[in-house]
Amino acid sequence: MTEHRTSLSRRQFIAAGAALTAGAIAAPHVSRAQEAATLRITGWGGKWGQVMGAEVVPAFEKEFKCKVVTDTALPFLPKLQASPRSAPIYDVLHTNSNEQWAAVEMGLVEPKIDAKLVPNIADVYPYAVSDKIVGVSIFTSAIGLGMRTDKDYPTPTSWKDLWDARYNGVRGGYVIPVNSLGQAFVPLCGMLYGKGPTDLDAAYAALEKIKPIKLVDFTGAMEKMLLSGEVGMCVLHDSGVNRYYDDKPPTAFVAPKEGVLSLEQVLTITPGSKVKELANAYVNYMLSPDVQKKMAQAVWYSPSNKTVKLDEPYASRLLTTPEKVASLIQVDWKWYNAHKDAIDTRVNRIFRG
Amino acid sequence: MLSLKVGRFLYLAVNWAVLAFLLLPILIIFVFALNPTPYIEFPPVGVTLKWFDKFFASPQFMSALLLSLEVAALTTIAATVLGASAALGIARGNVPGSRLITAIMLSPLMLPAILTGLALFQTYVLMDVGRPLWGLVVGHCLVTVPYVVRTTLAVLHNFDLRLEEAARNLGASPQRTFFEVTLPLIKPGVIAGGIFAFIVSFDQFPVSLFLVSPGQETLPITLFNYLKYDLDGTIGAASVVSILLAALVVIGLDRTVGLRSYVKL
Repeated sequence: MTEHRTSLSRRQFIAAGAALTAGAIAAPHVSRAQEAATLRITGWGGKWGQVMGAEVVPAFEKEFKCKVVTDTALPFLPKLQASPRSAPIYDVLHTNSNEQWAAVEMGLVEPKIDAKLVPNIADVYPYAVSDKIVGVSIFTSAIGLGMRTDKDYPTPTSWKDLWDARYNGVRGGYVIPVNSLGQAFVPLCGMLYGKGPTDLDAAYAALEKIKPIKLVDFTGAMEKMLLSGEVGMCVLHDSGVNRYYDDKPPTAFVAPKEGVLSLEQVLTITPGSKVKELANAYVNYMLSPDVQKKMAQAVWYSPSNKTVKLDEPYASRLLTTPEKVASLIQVDWKWYNAHKDAIDTRVNRIFRG
Repeated sequence: MLSLKVGRFLYLAVNWAVLAFLLLPILIIFVFALNPTPYIEFPPVGVTLKWFDKFFASPQFMSALLLSLEVAALTTIAATVLGASAALGIARGNVPGSRLITAIMLSPLMLPAILTGLALFQTYVLMDVGRPLWGLVVGHCLVTVPYVVRTTLAVLHNFDLRLEEAARNLGASPQRTFFEVTLPLIKPGVIAGGIFAFIVSFDQFPVSLFLVSPGQETLPITLFNYLKYDLDGTIGAASVVSILLAALVVIGLDRTVGLRSYVKL
């Protein structure tokens, strides 16, 4: 009797233990299934993050009855790479075009957004969905020349003016291996001084001649150097000057006659996302005229949606007409990424001295 | 006599040069934090506390600061207990392969911390636990336990075992011997390791990079993300607060447990 009771008790104990273990393992999944759908996205910090967190994301959550979790802690790509393809850490990847191309090469994001599921794509400028873009570009900045207006420098008209010897000691650029603007500058050098953007020999020769140049790794550092007068002429994105519009510092942005490089803000969807419908809805929402206008005027990015009407001074300073948009030079990041290691090695050698 | 004076002068000059080398970067941070311009400018054009105002008024920075303090406190407790216990086990346990175990315990210091962070991140993803706070503490413990092990082992190396034997011979139980003889004697090493653990955890960047969860970022990660978009004096103010907090911990420990008596470490 005792033995029987002991045996039964042991079985009961094992069964209860197994049930408890299974329950403990399943509990997060069960509770997650009962929660509202969660959309996991990446996003920028700074002013972008403030406006998104305070207004744009809460409105999306309310409209679609979901929860949006935004990761603003870089680096996004290694984290996405480290997570299983079937259960990616993000549903929507928001980053610059060069990283999106690296992501699509690794199969981490879908190459294109389905226009049938994202109706607002019908209203974007062609550059936003061109063959140089993975996914869809929701905003772009124009990369041109930033200059001090209080130093009696002549207003530049061409990118080639950056090579003028008068700027020796006050010329600014970026550490090419780690900065998107610096990387975009390499094919531009090939365009300016060689047969085209893929003429690397011409680009390297031009980079040799641009020395001495002050290089920074963080994009935001260049505008501060321009404000402090540490550089007088530099490669800069238009928002790096426009955001100080109210303070009226002695700085200006110049769009060279050859065109401005585009620095696109791109959204893609991960193939393994479990909330693709919501992910598409988010992309569509970010392309909607209201959100486009709000964000463009908050951070001085040019909207991709051509139906958006910006207020002044945004309308006149950003790329808001087909003519202005036509001045954008899009970098072939697929080609660039394929040559990145060789370019990094060579430019490190050029600028080491 | 003259050579003695020259030697003393050179000795002092080298010491001052080393001090300047160590302190100048901190001085520059203070200047950046107090300068009204949103960029580093020499000479400074004035003095302002507006960057401190901005730092303390920012919910993002405040939650990051509190999270960093919480993680550093939890890490210090866990790393001190684990590291000191491990050191005792290695030194006293007659464990076979104790040298190998010591090398393994210290190995996180030899690995690039960013790889430790990435490996833990992948482990958590595979375990489907997300990026919890305890996961961040575990990551910080991995890189701080070696400091506690090293400093405790250093003390244990010179430990006179006869003191413990005397206590046991006089009738003290193993627990009483530990708490009243062993622990007070190894305290310098344990505390020094704990201080290292706090400072390393509070300033930890590479391990945290992969382990912080969205919306819950430690101060170094928040600073890194901030300076990518807005490089202004708030970064300097945050750095000054970090430096002062670390100094406060050391001064506080000095006042409470008397660090100066352990300077031989």
